[in-house]
Parts: sequence; structure tokens; C-alpha cells
Amino acid sequence: MHNFIALLQNENMKLSQRISTWIMYAILLVIILFGAVIEFFSESVTTTEVDDNWKEELRVETANLEEMNEEDEYMYGMFTDEIAINNYHIENDIKPLPYDAWQFTMENAGLSSMISLFTIIIAAGIIASEYRLGTIKLLLIRPISRTKILLSKYVTVLLFSMIMLLFLFISSMIIGSLFFGLNGLNPTIVQMSVDGPKETSIFGEIFTQYGLNMINLVMMATFAFMISSLFRNSGMAIGTSIFLMFTGTTVVAMLSNYEWAKYILFANTNLNQYMGNGVPVIEGMTLGFSIAIIAIYYIIFLVVSWLAFTKRDVAGA
Amino acid sequence: MNVAMELINVNKNIGKKHIIKDLNLSIHKGEVFGLLGPNGAGKTTTIRMMVGLMKMTSGDIQIEGHSIRKDYKNAVRHVGAIVENPEMYPFLSGWKNLKHYARMIPGITDERIHEVIQLVGLQKAIKEKAGRYSLGMRQRLGVAQALLHRPSILILDEPTNGLDPAGIREIRQYIRKLAEEEDVSVIVSSHLLSEIELMCDRIGIIKNGELLSVEDVKDSQDDEENTELSVTLNVSPLKEAMEIVSSFPIKSEGEHSITVKATREQIPDIIKSLVQADIQIYEVNVEKTSLEDKFFERIGENTIA
Repeated sequence: MHNFIALLQNENMKLSQRISTWIMYAILLVIILFGAVIEFFSESVTTTEVDDNWKEELRVETANLEEMNEEDEYMYGMFTDEIAINNYHIENDIKPLPYDAWQFTMENAGLSSMISLFTIIIAAGIIASEYRLGTIKLLLIRPISRTKILLSKYVTVLLFSMIMLLFLFISSMIIGSLFFGLNGLNPTIVQMSVDGPKETSIFGEIFTQYGLNMINLVMMATFAFMISSLFRNSGMAIGTSIFLMFTGTTVVAMLSNYEWAKYILFANTNLNQYMGNGVPVIEGMTLGFSIAIIAIYYIIFLVVSWLAFTKRDVAGA
Repeated sequence: MNVAMELINVNKNIGKKHIIKDLNLSIHKGEVFGLLGPNGAGKTTTIRMMVGLMKMTSGDIQIEGHSIRKDYKNAVRHVGAIVENPEMYPFLSGWKNLKHYARMIPGITDERIHEVIQLVGLQKAIKEKAGRYSLGMRQRLGVAQALLHRPSILILDEPTNGLDPAGIREIRQYIRKLAEEEDVSVIVSSHLLSEIELMCDRIGIIKNGELLSVEDVKDSQDDEENTELSVTLNVSPLKEAMEIVSSFPIKSEGEHSITVKATREQIPDIIKSLVQADIQIYEVNVEKTSLEDKFFERIGENTIA
């Protein structure tokens, strides 16, 4: 155990001494700031205190939405959820809260795809760069098993993505508070759930969103890690992973007529399809099924990484 | 004599190619052993098998009595190595590079790291990033990381590659010092005899994956009495002279000269018999059969690719 912690220290030292790692944090911070500025000047966002005749205003807004929902051919049905939520507010006498840091942070859960991108780059490089630099030869001739070295690298990738997520959360909260203020420590919001609109804790909602995005992130990072271990080339690992990340869901949508498409990883990674009133990509898929498929892919990725790293000779230039 | 490392019937196949063929070799404690052969002879493959980077197809390598196949951790613990070039993390300082490897083996203190830095003379540059080091400095850093855990066997693959003459001299003195003062066995590989002849006690000649012979360097230098010498005779007429010396193995023939192999004792006899036959002797040139000649003899001059 002692030397495993030493290995983690080593891997983190190698990450943190590279400028590229810090550039990733800087990019994320700039995007968060940019999002806040856009949101701040956008008209659709109310940051001021809601006044007493909010029910009347909400009714007018709901009526407008209903009109668009039924008449506009392009937007047909798009606002059903919003209308239901608005009605819930009025019926239960829940005053809508102004836009604040919590909601800003919740919306920024979408930025986890950025973190996926960064984590893919880290995962792709963490094995391949040792081969590229030639340091793999000095790394592997120590009295430590290759399995342990590989594990330390994988854990470092996961740690990196979690620290990045934490960074996203904390900087969203801070920047959000500066721009929009904060509605208490744990406000509630009305969200769609399986049984219609429901009042939930916003913190719980943020936690769920970030957690669900984590699944996709970890799967893509593990895939990049596998390609890196298999081909010892980071460009290839980054290329294939990002390609799959962007085309995966489209391909699944294209193939959704086929029954077997449900066995494709990307049909399953978005567990949001089982939350709220979401519809599964392919009929008949369940949460349990998706979790099983994800687990199977995950194990395959790890086993291939492990075989490629521990069983092969380190030869050539 | 104590054996530090032993190679037993080591074979390596890559695909259908038989890269290493039945290698048997013992490295003694405190000796400097040279692995000599042309490029592609299998030196680096052999070294990679010694440190476990490559698995052997059959056979075994024992390091301080531990098999690298079955007891990898205990075997590799005794080895420090640079495989091919001394490649370091360019974005880490020299110190952090050493700290990195020090963390991987328990019991290496910061004092030990300082000690090793002093040994290789890198004190001044240790805080600088390794990416800015010259090749010579990286070579020293490479030696430093290999010595951190006080290994009993030090393996240096082509240690003089890319170094200037001063650097080569320094490495040479350094390796001798380690072997003599610290009783470390050192294995060096090279494709240039001249570079390792002066630092090695024994040299194994390897070609096409086979160990052709192991030469004792000191033998060929010290043993005056029985050393085979090359005697070049510039004589006239050449034909008659050739008949007279025909009992000696002829090494080469020139336009006016002939070179034969003989020991020191035999030289006066050769001259006497030539004089008696009334042959004009213009010049007699005596050279030691150097290790280089033996090397070429073994591997064939024209096969060096």
C-alpha cells in the first residue's frame, strides 16, 4: 500500500509539472466565466427578486407557452414540461426563485463534456507518453509489478476527472454567486420526475446531474486508456475516443430501428433517459439493462488495458 | 569466483525469427563485462531480457540467485540500468526525476539522492529541468537513477553513445571506480571495441544472437610470453622467403611483404633462417594481435552492418 501511494504521488507529480494540465483548468474557468457573462446580459433570466403578483405573470407566460406548444409546427410539444412546472408552482403556491448560483451550477453540469475531453487527453497520454519519451524502460525495471503501475495510472486519471468536476462545481458556485447571488444554502426547485412535477432539493439535483455525466466521462476515459495501452500512441487514443464521443449517440440514433443497437455502449451511457419522463433510446431497455451493459464494456476495457500493458514485451525504439 | 548474474540457455523468438540462441553466460561480482557485437546482434534484446522488459522464450536469467522469470521483484531489486538512451522526463527537474525513481523503491532517503548526485557531479544542474540537459548530463542523470538503490549489478546499454571523447573517458573512469571500490558488477554493451576495451575485464562477442566467445582483456595485454604476434617481413625475394616461413600461419601477403603469426620467442629463429638463405631483409615489424583482430576474426570484417 505504501508504494502504491508513492506511485500515485509520482503520477500526480508528472501531471502537475506539465503546463498543459494547467491550461485545461484555465480553459474551463474561462468557459464558466464566459457563460456567466452571457447569462448575465441575457433577458430571459430574472435575477431580481420576484414580486407579489408573480402568479399573474406566470399565468401569462404559461398561456403564451401553451399557444406555441399547440400551434407552432416547429415547437410542437416542446414546452409541455415547462407548462406543467409552471402550473405546479401556481397550484401549490410555490414562489419561483430568481436565477442564482445554484441554477447556474446545475446548468454547468453540461460542461462535464469538456471535462470528458480533458480526461480523454490525460488518459490517452498517461501510458503513451511514457513510451514516446522512452521513460517506460526506466519505469518498469523497478521491483513493482506492472499491474500496480498500470493501476496507479488509471486511478490518477480518475482522480484528475474528479478534481476537475469539483473545480467545475466550486468555480461555478463562486462565479455564479458573484454574478447572480445565492438563494440560501439549499433551496428547492420544481423539476419533472417520473410522476409529474415535484419539488426537489437543488443540491440533490446537481449531484444527480454531475453523477450521471460522470458515467459517460469515466467510460470514455477508460476507452482512451485502453487504446493508449494497446497502441502506445496518444494521438490514436485521443482521436478514436473523441470521434466516438461525438458520433456515438448519432450512430445509435441511426441504428435505433435495429434491436441489437441496444447493445452499443452509447445507447446506454446516458442514464438520463430513465430519469424524469425520459424515453429510452430503444424500446424495452431498462435501467438495470443499461447498467449491466456499461459494466460489461467497462470490464472489457480494463482487461484489454491490463493484458496489453502487462503481457507484452517492451521492445523497439 | 562469485557469480552476480547467470544466463542459462536463454532463447528468444520474435515471430518466426530466432533472435537469441542458447545464450550461456556468467557475470562475476565486481567485474566489468563488455557485450560486444555489431548492430542488430542481439545486445539490446539480451539486456532487455536481463531487466525483464522482454520475456525470454526459454531458459532463465538468475540475478543474485533470483530468477527474473519467477521472482521478478527480488531479482530486479539488485539491478540498476540504463536501457538504450538515458531518457528522462524533460518537464521535471533533475532532482524530481531522481525523486520519482527513488519513490519506487523503499528505503531511499533524500540523503542518498544527494549522495548519488555528488557521485555523478550534477550538483549545479540538479534543479534545472532535464529537458535542458546536454546528452552528457543526461547520461550522468541516467547513471544516478541506476545507482540510487545501491544495485550489485549495473547495466549500461551503449553508455558512450553520443558522448564526446572527454565524456567517454569520464564514463570509463567512473565505471572502473564503481567496480573496484563498490564491488559492483557492470555490464556494458557496445558495437565499438575501442570504446569498451579499456574499461572491461572480459568481453563477450555476440553476433546474430549467438555468443561467439568470451575474451579476457587482461590476458591479451599482459601475457607477453605466449601472446601471438603479427610479424610483418619486408623481404626480397618474396617467394623464397615464403617457403622458409611456411611453417608459420600466414596472415596476409603484400606486394613486398608477408605477415605471419608467431610468438616473441620465435622471431629470432625466423630472421636467422631468412639470413641463412641469403634473403634481403628491409624491415621487420612486430605487432600484438589486438583484441580488435580477434573481434574481426570472430565476426568477420565485412559483416559489420
